[in-house]
Amino acid sequence: MKRKGIGNFKYYVGISSLEQLATREDRVCVLNLLGGESRTVSPVSHTFSGGNIVFGTSPGRAGQVLKTKKGNIPVYNNVREGLEAGHHFNTGVVYLPPSGVRDGVAELVRVNPELRKVIILTEKVAVHDAREIRAIGQMEGIDIFGANCLGLADSWNRVRLGGALGGDHPEESLIKGSVAIFSNSGNFTTTIAQYLATGGWGTTTSISSGKDVYIHFAAPEFIYAFSNDQRSKAAVMYVEPGGYYEHDLQINKPIVACVVGRWKSKLNRAVGHAGAMAGSGDDAEAKEKWFMEAFGVNDIFTPENRVFSEKGAVVTNIAHIPLALTEVMNLSRIEPDFEPMGDLSLKSWFGDSKGLALPAELDVPTVEAIPPYKGQIQELNKQIGRIFPRTNMKDASGVSIMDPKTQITKLHGRSILDNSLKSLESNLCFALLREHNGPNDNALTNIAIAAQVNLYGEMTIQAADTAREAGNAPNTVLSAAIAMIGPNRINRQQQIIAAFIDLFSQSGLKDGMKEDFDLSNIEIPEGLRKLLVADAPDEKTEAILSAITERNAKSLFVKLLRDLQEPVHMDAVLAAIAMTIAWSPLARKRISKITAKNFPWYLTIYATLIGASVDGSHHQKDSYCGIPNESLLRSWTFGEIAYLTLLGNQAAPEQLFAFQVLTGLLVSNGPGSISSQGSKGAVAADGPETPNRVQINKAMIGFLTHTGFSHGGAGFEGVTHLVDAFKNTNLTDPSDPNHGLDLTEMARSFAIEYGKQKAALKESTGGRMKAIAGLNHPVFKNKPVNTDPREVFIDELFKKREQYNVFHEYYQTLARQLFEAGVTHNVFCVNIDGVIGAMLLKMLWSQYREGQLNSRKLEVAAFTIFLYGRMMGCAAEINDHINRGKNMDTRTPASQCRYVS
Amino acid sequence: MQLTGMLYGSRLLNYVGFPTAEVLGPEASEDEIQRLIEKHGTIFIKPLFKGGIGKKGKAGLLGRASNLKTALQEKERLYFVEHKVKNTTAKAQGVTFEGGVPADHEVYFSITDSTRYRAPVITLTHKGGVAIEELEKKYVAEVPFDALTGLKAFVIANALSDIGAPKEIDSPLVQQLPKLWELFHHYGMTTLELNPIRMMPGKGGRLVPVACDFKCGFDRDDPRWERLSLPHHLFTVEHSDFEQEINQLRTYQGQSDVYVINDQGTILAPTFGGGANSLVSEALGDKAIISSDFGGNPPYEKMRDVARICYKHWLKQTNVLFVIGGKSNNTDIETTFRAMADALQDHFNQNGPTPLYVVIGRGGPNLIRGMGAFKDTLDALGLPYRIFGFDSAMSEVVNYALAADDWMRAGGRQEVNNLLGIDE
Repeated sequence: MKRKGIGNFKYYVGISSLEQLATREDRVCVLNLLGGESRTVSPVSHTFSGGNIVFGTSPGRAGQVLKTKKGNIPVYNNVREGLEAGHHFNTGVVYLPPSGVRDGVAELVRVNPELRKVIILTEKVAVHDAREIRAIGQMEGIDIFGANCLGLADSWNRVRLGGALGGDHPEESLIKGSVAIFSNSGNFTTTIAQYLATGGWGTTTSISSGKDVYIHFAAPEFIYAFSNDQRSKAAVMYVEPGGYYEHDLQINKPIVACVVGRWKSKLNRAVGHAGAMAGSGDDAEAKEKWFMEAFGVNDIFTPENRVFSEKGAVVTNIAHIPLALTEVMNLSRIEPDFEPMGDLSLKSWFGDSKGLALPAELDVPTVEAIPPYKGQIQELNKQIGRIFPRTNMKDASGVSIMDPKTQITKLHGRSILDNSLKSLESNLCFALLREHNGPNDNALTNIAIAAQVNLYGEMTIQAADTAREAGNAPNTVLSAAIAMIGPNRINRQQQIIAAFIDLFSQSGLKDGMKEDFDLSNIEIPEGLRKLLVADAPDEKTEAILSAITERNAKSLFVKLLRDLQEPVHMDAVLAAIAMTIAWSPLARKRISKITAKNFPWYLTIYATLIGASVDGSHHQKDSYCGIPNESLLRSWTFGEIAYLTLLGNQAAPEQLFAFQVLTGLLVSNGPGSISSQGSKGAVAADGPETPNRVQINKAMIGFLTHTGFSHGGAGFEGVTHLVDAFKNTNLTDPSDPNHGLDLTEMARSFAIEYGKQKAALKESTGGRMKAIAGLNHPVFKNKPVNTDPREVFIDELFKKREQYNVFHEYYQTLARQLFEAGVTHNVFCVNIDGVIGAMLLKMLWSQYREGQLNSRKLEVAAFTIFLYGRMMGCAAEINDHINRGKNMDTRTPASQCRYVS
Repeated sequence: MQLTGMLYGSRLLNYVGFPTAEVLGPEASEDEIQRLIEKHGTIFIKPLFKGGIGKKGKAGLLGRASNLKTALQEKERLYFVEHKVKNTTAKAQGVTFEGGVPADHEVYFSITDSTRYRAPVITLTHKGGVAIEELEKKYVAEVPFDALTGLKAFVIANALSDIGAPKEIDSPLVQQLPKLWELFHHYGMTTLELNPIRMMPGKGGRLVPVACDFKCGFDRDDPRWERLSLPHHLFTVEHSDFEQEINQLRTYQGQSDVYVINDQGTILAPTFGGGANSLVSEALGDKAIISSDFGGNPPYEKMRDVARICYKHWLKQTNVLFVIGGKSNNTDIETTFRAMADALQDHFNQNGPTPLYVVIGRGGPNLIRGMGAFKDTLDALGLPYRIFGFDSAMSEVVNYALAADDWMRAGGRQEVNNLLGIDE
């Protein structure tokens, strides 16, 4: 059934010399030319080989072309169409999926009588199909290479057939010389060529044989063709365990054989190369022995134990190949092909010990890479900040994720519970910069906010007050204010930041607070100077600079301004503050340049959102909410300012702590929450692929418009429930555990009454009672006693701090009494809304008792505190979407939308 | 993917109409066993192993009974028996009861692919029932044949003639054995072995070949085996949970071969390329947790999933994360490194930091961008690392990784813990 081939092979072999394997005359047809792998590999092969691919196939894509530097490769539906169009080829290259390989080969053979070679790149071809492919090749007299190989290459002919030997720069590895390579490993075909160059050896023909059970063009055929190739003075063979391909080879020229895989004899099933399972008598040890017998040597060659003969040497480490080859060839007085190119010593291209005292053998220095990589590394090092790949960000977030099991959201990988223990100013920056502030960053953040929270004489507060007077909810009021903070308001700060980044990106500056950084090589360009310098000193700017000194805050960028010894613009100082805080994460590629540039915009918006939540009467020329501007600048924290705004007085430390925990808990519920969706939609609509056009203030309005009395008012419902429960008591101080109230009795009475009403309602109308705000949760509901882990966290946190909250205890008591009274089938959890309500009412109770807060004001306060927390999480989503998103990526395809009549 | 024993073997042979011994499974009732004894006189009790393990007879794991009491005693002895061959230990999960087949002749027959002939080959002897390698060569026929025409009757006839088989077995074997090609070739097998086939006298004294033991191996890259509707659990025993999870990602795009070398190891080495895998696994020895080949240009999502699973199972015990490969030809380094780095970031995000020393050695397309992506992540995570170019000998990089592991064991791990603020 087989054709007669060359030599004395029992089977058909058509290649008599390696010279014939990959020639300039070979013409190629690629099956599945437009497939993922072929699409990238084939143009390189085609160009390197002088344009040897005559056409490719891809069913249904006839008429298309694959562009290459050597011209377009036409595509046909099938091989027959390509031949009918007048093309001729002798080599078929198969990139089909495994299930299509056998039929692809059969078709190549059937329709093209000129076919001589088939190279199969596909991995995981079934043995069944390989069996039949073998038989087809034998019957028709076709040499087959692979499957699961990387094809053939010839350095003399500058031809690459099939796969990707030499990668995207074949000329780097395929250096003309005198050594033929045959390798079971595609990767090692190239790696060995690379290693040989370090010994001064180039290559003739390289064969990646494949590594399946059926290796169609295997060691015996290689040896035969190698023997007849006048160009090849020696060969390197890389072989793995499995199969008798290397048994009894008729070797007549020097060979270095590398046999790897002794460890595989321990295995009980194939691993790595499919054919490379240790069987009976064909494991690595046996193969080493076959080669040692052929070479007349009695040991493995190592640099320390150089065992070799004129015929060859056996190595088990590919790094030993160049030396072994040189030694073997020396005996025949054959010199290397060229001067050694480089060496194989350890060369660390990148490294960082992170300050650890490493032993000398680990503490290897970083060295310059070889060209062209050296240049690429230099370019990489010039790049400051991270670049995020763009992807569809609908319902996705690179910053937040809520665990559906625990309902705990993480922001930048940290639980919001942990984040809530941090100060408000730290959380503010963390949302955008992915790192919490140190004390210096906190001081600078506080100054930036304090400098911008007083909106006296600003359009922002006028807009906000107008909206407020029209009866709008806080979110709408704040939207009106920040609509005024458009791009023009921030443009100068952004330009300054961009110029700072250009100026310092190659300076080696790691930390923006290092005022002792050597500025002698930093020269401020005229364009930047113009942006920094003001016509005349400005009182407010000077106050900010004084506050920086007063707080002993360090900033290299502020120092740079001071060194100008001229009046500077307030925007310059605010930009310098923002740059100082953002520099470190930027330098360490935690954030992008886009984020750094937009950071002062977020700070201005944050300050405006806080300021605009109280009416214009609180904004005076010299003071804010009764506190002198200078005092705010010099000593107040952002948390204290926010508390002052909402509650009208300076917080005691524990009050401030509780306030910060509360806002911290509200930061995010993941990208699925309505507020996040609103902010992400606003970014998508502007088109994040042109990030400079995204209006961050509008995106924040997107967040605000996607909050409301339902989404943002949950805390208020809890407050309302608690007010109803406590309004008729004589409670004065909710933090006093000796309040004198019988909470159990209060809860029991409520539970009994609630139960009665519930039963009556069910009996009368079959309806259901409204759920009690703050109790129960759809996830935490099936245990005898249920808890919400967030509530547990808060409960334990404040117990540890000995901070009592009567409302929180009441909620816990109520959950128990509802069960005791038979109203609920198990003990409901106190949910996070209950906790928020309890914490909020504790803060507002004295004002409520004093009659300063009516129901409406209470609701506004509850809503506003939600906005204070959520503005940070949404700023994070906005920033993330600008960095990663695609234009209009939040829309829903029409096919997934429903019409409801 | 291997299968041994007659419980499932007889079912498979029935697909092609090849006669088999009568078999009862572990669930057989005493009445059924009694009936089997009554019918056949003698029955054999064999432990049931998942996967492929041989030499059971030699290990005394073959029970024989001609009454119920003995049969039940043998059942008790063999039901959970442990069997060790070389490095493989298997634990029985039940027994089979197989009716004895009286015969004067025992035949060995197998089909597999031969790398000597580069073709499917049969091995046949009329002196079966023993290990084939123990027989004199003159009694063993090894005959290649054409895969396209298949195993034909004349191939069997010629082979029997070559080894001088008794003529009374010729005709029944020539008639029955070619059926096995159908089973072998059309259901994705790589080996099929029946030993012994006992030549039982049938009607009119004509001999009938009856398969009394069965072994086969399936090609896991060939979906044809699924046509047999064998329960998947038969093959799961070969894989650890980790391997099982990785195998679920097995597609033709990108290799995803993994093997747990030492579940107490401390170097986690995702390796790229079969060659690199061999070299690295050999050099790391039992310091390596897994042996792997993740080359073949896997897409981002797959690589990220593979890395995620590796980290999930092994990162906690890992001292050195060692990403290693040669100079890749087509595997995109940026894609694979970004995926692995992103998975590492995710793992830290979800599980908190873990002390690692990271060693990377690689070459290939988009190398510097890939190294840059990994470096940025390692910087962000605060981990110490060295990244080597492909102009460093891979074996030297392996030695560096081993030295890093030694250092981590000798107090370095605690130092990295201190660096990351971990109380381990």
